[in-house]
Amino acid sequence: VSNDQFKRELGQVFDEMTGSHSAALPDRVRSSLANVPDQRGPFWIAGIAAVAIAVLVVGILMESINRQQPSIGPGVVPSPTASPSGSPTPNSSLPPFVCASSGVGATPAAPVAFVSAVRTGTHGAYDRLTVEFKNGQPTTIELRTQSGTGFTTSPKGDQVTLAGRNGILVVIHGADLHTSYTGSTDIKTGYATLVEVRQVEDFEGVVQLALGLTGAPCYRAFMLTNPDRLVIDIQAG
Amino acid sequence: MFVVTMEQRPQVLTSAAAGDADSFAILIEPLLDPAYRLAAVMLADRSSAEDAVQEASIKAWRKLRQLRGDVTSLRSWFLSIVANECRMTRRQRWWSVLKLADLPSAESAAQQSATSDLHRALLKLRPEDRLPLVLHFYLDLSLDEVARTLHVSPAAAKSRIYRAAKRLRSDLTLEEVF
Repeated sequence: VSNDQFKRELGQVFDEMTGSHSAALPDRVRSSLANVPDQRGPFWIAGIAAVAIAVLVVGILMESINRQQPSIGPGVVPSPTASPSGSPTPNSSLPPFVCASSGVGATPAAPVAFVSAVRTGTHGAYDRLTVEFKNGQPTTIELRTQSGTGFTTSPKGDQVTLAGRNGILVVIHGADLHTSYTGSTDIKTGYATLVEVRQVEDFEGVVQLALGLTGAPCYRAFMLTNPDRLVIDIQAG
Repeated sequence: MFVVTMEQRPQVLTSAAAGDADSFAILIEPLLDPAYRLAAVMLADRSSAEDAVQEASIKAWRKLRQLRGDVTSLRSWFLSIVANECRMTRRQRWWSVLKLADLPSAESAAQQSATSDLHRALLKLRPEDRLPLVLHFYLDLSLDEVARTLHVSPAAAKSRIYRAAKRLRSDLTLEEVF
């Protein structure tokens, strides 16, 4: 086996494994970069210190509130069963798709759940949005469907319009998007159905994510655990 | 499509380091394809690979001031961030929930038969062992660049490449690899 032959054979196998990336990848990256807040610069130490102090203060306040109100208990446990190992969820155990506003139950295990990751994926019959939490689950989650993709940011009150024809507003109470999350706050997916995910609120323990859809706002939503995450599947049109 | 000549790249790097995201996007655009291929081999999943490249691009943008050396170091620096992102993705067990396997078509299965032994052997390797092979034989990085990407000495990089290659073909000699 010569070096060239070995390299050629290996290259062929690697080609089969990788294929080509999607044409949307450069745009995805460019879009992500454009929406990343510039955290470099001389003020980053002050920023980290401010966040640490804020977390400490909020933690102390929440702890004192919890001690004063010991009767507050956990909420309703979410619908589908999730394997503790994080294995794939069988379709038969998932809730049906709906096209109206609704809520997803969650068990509040901590005062504020920290969003640690927001990911999208496309799977043929549906596009998926996954929001992962650290520090427990949020208190409540609402999904509000709407025609059109105009949303109002909070607390500023600015009007923003997402890509697509219809929208879903995901309102997460008892969560924040700034303690553990460092990714993009405006994700343009390039998928057929779920085309954009954008943060429209991250204020006083309420996170709102606006979804831009090309088709009808039909979805199924459920919570999974270990780690805690909200999964929203948008039904392909 | 943005095109940057080699002569322009230092100026673009300077602009990017000054905080211009567009300049940074122009710089890394040619690196997205090798980055994707590296991630696809390490993760064995194309969708996850694109996610890893996207996350790595954001991290690279945030860490740009940590780039040591000139624009010629950019490729190995960026690929090392991509490799780290792939390691993190693999550590996150929950990720398997979203992962859908890329099922080979009948056509690709037929093509695979020609190199099936090598393919099987490659899939048996740990992702960490695939990494030096991808960098050197597939992305054509020099030994020095492989060493920078892996954060090891050139001698250690050479050793890792040879060891991984030997796992694929036990009868290979050092001369046949390099």
